[in-house]
Amino acid sequence: MSSEAQESETSDKITCTDVTCPICGIACDDIEVELDDVSVVTRNACIMGDAKFQELRSSHRITTPLIDGKEAPWSEAIDKAAEILVNAKRPFFFVGSETTTEAMGVAIEIAEMLGGLVDGNATICHGPTVMAIQDVGQSGCTLGETRNRADLDIYWGANPEDSHPRHLSRHSIFQRGFFTEQGRFGRKIVVVDPRRSTTAEHADLHLQLKPGTDFEVLSAIMTILNGFEPHESFTEVTGISREDIHKAAEMVKDARFGVIWVGLGIASTRGKHYNASMAMRLTQLGNKTGKFVILANRGHCNVTGFNHILAWSHGFPYAVDFSTGEPRYQPGEYSCVDALRRGEVDALFCMCADLGAHLPKIAVERMCQIPVVSIETAEGPQAFISDVVLPGVLDAMECEGTFYRMDNVPIYVRSFCDPPFDFTKSNEDTCTQLRDAIIQKLEAREKAEGKETQAKPQTTTPLSDEEFGQRLDKLVTRTV
Amino acid sequence: MQEGRGVDIILNTGGTAFQGAVIKGGRKFTDDYTKEAAYCDINPEDFEELGKPWFVRVTNEYGDSVILRAKKTDRQQRGEIFIPRGPWANIVVTPVTESTGSPRYKNLVVQIEKEAHGPVLGPKELMEKYYTKRERPNWEANRKWTA
Repeated sequence: MSSEAQESETSDKITCTDVTCPICGIACDDIEVELDDVSVVTRNACIMGDAKFQELRSSHRITTPLIDGKEAPWSEAIDKAAEILVNAKRPFFFVGSETTTEAMGVAIEIAEMLGGLVDGNATICHGPTVMAIQDVGQSGCTLGETRNRADLDIYWGANPEDSHPRHLSRHSIFQRGFFTEQGRFGRKIVVVDPRRSTTAEHADLHLQLKPGTDFEVLSAIMTILNGFEPHESFTEVTGISREDIHKAAEMVKDARFGVIWVGLGIASTRGKHYNASMAMRLTQLGNKTGKFVILANRGHCNVTGFNHILAWSHGFPYAVDFSTGEPRYQPGEYSCVDALRRGEVDALFCMCADLGAHLPKIAVERMCQIPVVSIETAEGPQAFISDVVLPGVLDAMECEGTFYRMDNVPIYVRSFCDPPFDFTKSNEDTCTQLRDAIIQKLEAREKAEGKETQAKPQTTTPLSDEEFGQRLDKLVTRTV
Repeated sequence: MQEGRGVDIILNTGGTAFQGAVIKGGRKFTDDYTKEAAYCDINPEDFEELGKPWFVRVTNEYGDSVILRAKKTDRQQRGEIFIPRGPWANIVVTPVTESTGSPRYKNLVVQIEKEAHGPVLGPKELMEKYYTKRERPNWEANRKWTA
């Protein structure tokens, strides 16, 4: 995907090109970074991307493991984390999205091994959109196609100027593509948002609907496209004039290649996945008169990756429970907010996500009552409520791996420097060490309980994949 | 909502680029976070009706409330407020997920009232105020086995 990273090293300064940005779903792969002992200079990065790259030389980076807020040796922290998870009856594994799929894979393995619940950032983000994909299906394309072909961009409940600052310039409104050489003048822009957002200022048509009426507005456009007139109460219900909704329907009809970019405006409001399903049905209808696709503006660089790997490894995209020994999927029951709200979770493992800041109060209160293990890079609400904090490694900077971009394209990201500590090389390495510690504890427990066991002497070297597989099979068989 | 404080209004929360830059830059326990996430955008007409407040208190149906700086902006429609994503907004966001896992970050009816003096808590003070009562089960004592 990205061309070869070129590193030119002078005495104490490294210059890297084509670095992948580990922030939003676009995962821009054209960042240039100049790094020396004290400073970081970036080119092409947006305000959020630059802030993340500055973390390489920040003063508030967590570089030592913490147990109950106090610094502790790495081996002790891993041991404590393993102990917390092994002792839990219903551990929850929250797999954040600013890390590689390789690390996520290991975290999911641990969840399966301990019969816990596993969920990812999608659950509080585009989870409903993922449910809609299961319901209706997605007609999608890559970001390259939208750049080169799209002549109609509909931002539904999305404000990429804030959430994906380079979206408009790289992939949609302002980009001059092969078939869209006129750039902004060759494209029509529709924004559907109850706020007059900064993205709405670029729009040819801003549908400023009343909150929670996305389903009605989508239905109205489909009604017009099918040759009928929306109900007489339409304007009263949605706050949008008949003239505007007809204009929107005309734009859909006239488009040669239309894209609906759905944001959290439809996934987080009333109706949830029904709204997203309706947007996908509108996409189907748009394909009768032209080419129409729908893409979700995913918020994090690898939030899509979690859905993909959990889907291909266990059949479901998020909110999975392994307590019966086999994966069960039920958003609303096994999803993070719901499981925490009901108070059934008795330990939480959270990697690379700040749940303390982004979950509703009642869920965070539950997290305060149970032991929490986190992988974190900086102090903040999540580190504040954690019992054990394992220092995080910055993916795409200090370790390499795979990201799934928001158009579902996997890209391999390279690293250009090392972490500021030597006890772990990557978040995958951290999870692997934790997994091995858990296996040792499980085997020790079986031994203590007097069950037949073939546990090997404790070893400090990581297990090979084959060896791990054998041990896992054994443990799973016993559980069942 | 019948009981409670203030007038009913619809809350939308969401990310902003500046708030994003603060959290991605790891400045989550600094004043920058307060500056970029502890405010409430209010439509000019609602702003007048609330009595041109410097601070507002936003309360949800469970009675949880948070104090924020009030900002007048014509980007909001009448009857709606916006709070950037973050721990302040999530004090009032309710965990009703409609069986999808996603809480009600947007289109949530809350109550708003003028708050005379603040103060708006910083991120660390907010966490300490709302989340330090840790009635944590003594999991060390409940341990079933020793490694």
